[in-house]
Order: sequence, then C-alpha cells, then structure tokens
Amino acid sequence: MTDNFDAFLSSVLAPPARDPDRQFVLRLQARIALEERLAAERRTLTNDLLKQLAGLLAIAAGIFCIATSAAVTSLFAEAPALVLAVLLAAFALVIALIAMRPGSTSLASLN
Amino acid sequence: MPAENDEDLALSRRAAAGDTAAFAMLVEKYELALRSFLVRAVGADHADDIAQEAFLKAWRASAQYDGRARYSTWLTRIAWRCRLDALRKERAPVQVDAPSSSVVHSREVDDMLSRLSESERAALVLCDGHGWTHAEAAELLSLPLGTLKSTIARAKSKCRAMWEGA
Repeated sequence: MTDNFDAFLSSVLAPPARDPDRQFVLRLQARIALEERLAAERRTLTNDLLKQLAGLLAIAAGIFCIATSAAVTSLFAEAPALVLAVLLAAFALVIALIAMRPGSTSLASLN
Repeated sequence: MPAENDEDLALSRRAAAGDTAAFAMLVEKYELALRSFLVRAVGADHADDIAQEAFLKAWRASAQYDGRARYSTWLTRIAWRCRLDALRKERAPVQVDAPSSSVVHSREVDDMLSRLSESERAALVLCDGHGWTHAEAAELLSLPLGTLKSTIARAKSKCRAMWEGA
C-alpha cells in the first residue's frame, strides 16, 4: 500500500512528458532582447551625459580663465555692462550648441 | 564534472558572451522541469512569472555558472530566491492556485498539495518528483539535512492520510 502510494506520488510529481514550450522560449527571447536594447540605451545616455558634463566643465573653466584675466578685469572695471553682455551671449551660444547637438537624445524618443 | 554539466557550461559561456541562441537551448532544455516544479510548489499563477524572472537572471548571470552543480540545480536556486524575494515584497502568505492546464495533474493531487506548507511541497516535489538528492534540496531550501528529511516524511505522511481518507 505504502509502496504503491509512494510510486503514485512520484509519478504525479514528476515533470510531465512534453515537447519544449516554444512560446515560452520566444517570449523569453523577446524580453531578453528588450532588456539588452534598454541596457544599450542606458549606456549611450550615460556616456552622452558624461561627455556633456566634461564639455560643460571645460567651457566653464575656459570662461573662468578669460573672466579672471587682467584684460577682462580691467575692461569689466571700465564697461561692466559690455562684459556682462558678452558673457551672457557666450552662455546663450553654449546652450544653443548643446541643444542643437545632432546626437542629442530626448527622453521622449526612448518611448 | 558530469558530461551534461560540461555541455551546459559550454552553452552558458556562450550565453555569457551574448549568444542568445545558446541560451534558448538552455531554456528549451530546462523550462519544463522548472515550470512544473514551480506550478507544484507555488501555484500556476505565479509559476510562469517566477520562471521567466529566473531565466532572465540566469541570462544576466551566465558567466557565474561554473558547472560544479547541475544547471537545473543552479537555475532552480535562482527561481527559489525569486520566489522568496516576491514573498518578502508581498509580505503576506500566498495561496496556491490551480495549476495550469498545460501540466498533467489530477485535481485530488492538487488539493492534497495545497494543504501542505510551501517548503513541504517544494521538498516533496524536488526529491520525490524531480529526483533531487536530499542534500541538493536541503541546500536550496536552506534547511539542515535532517530537517529536510523529516519535512519530506511529514509531507508524505500528510498526503497519505489525505489520500486514504478521501
């Protein structure tokens, strides 16, 4: 009785005999492909962000050097409005250049 | 190392290098055993989600499979951790649902299993149905070997009592 029950239990608990579920495999492959694509997008975005930060830091350092140079300091003392206008124009130009980058990716384009 | 482990290790290494076809072969080879274990142990509603999550994690961790254990053991361990993580997130006991129609079963057996605790079901299904050794199952379920053996004996005894009382 016990042996029969054990054998019965083992048989019903064993994995059923069937062919591999191709639908399951395909669904999983699609999900892996999606994950890979998203990971690649994340890597690209991170790289872009780091490059942009490095660029901005370089520009800021350049502007700082120019702004603290003796020629600019003396000009700032003579005509502060002119120097401020030039700095603002340079800043606007940098912003425009960043916004117009051909490789720039907006978040909306990821959806 | 057994020849089957060698073969799976080779496929897993190819998967780690980005070969999705190699990983698909592993999925085809092991989805049946994993999903039927999960259907029995945690219920049909959760089984496929956990199996998919486990395969995804196995894909990401392909480089970590070293061939010392069977691939099915390694994979089931990942799936079981996924299950425990899900339980921790839910913070509530989950009832076992009706198994999916794709798995051969009888209603009586499902009813019988649903009255066992999840660890009793898992231990019983792995050792009695899937041919795992007690040591492998004990490691998976984080139980001492003696505790696992008594868990299985208790589960069988409960099943037998239910079966004979039915």
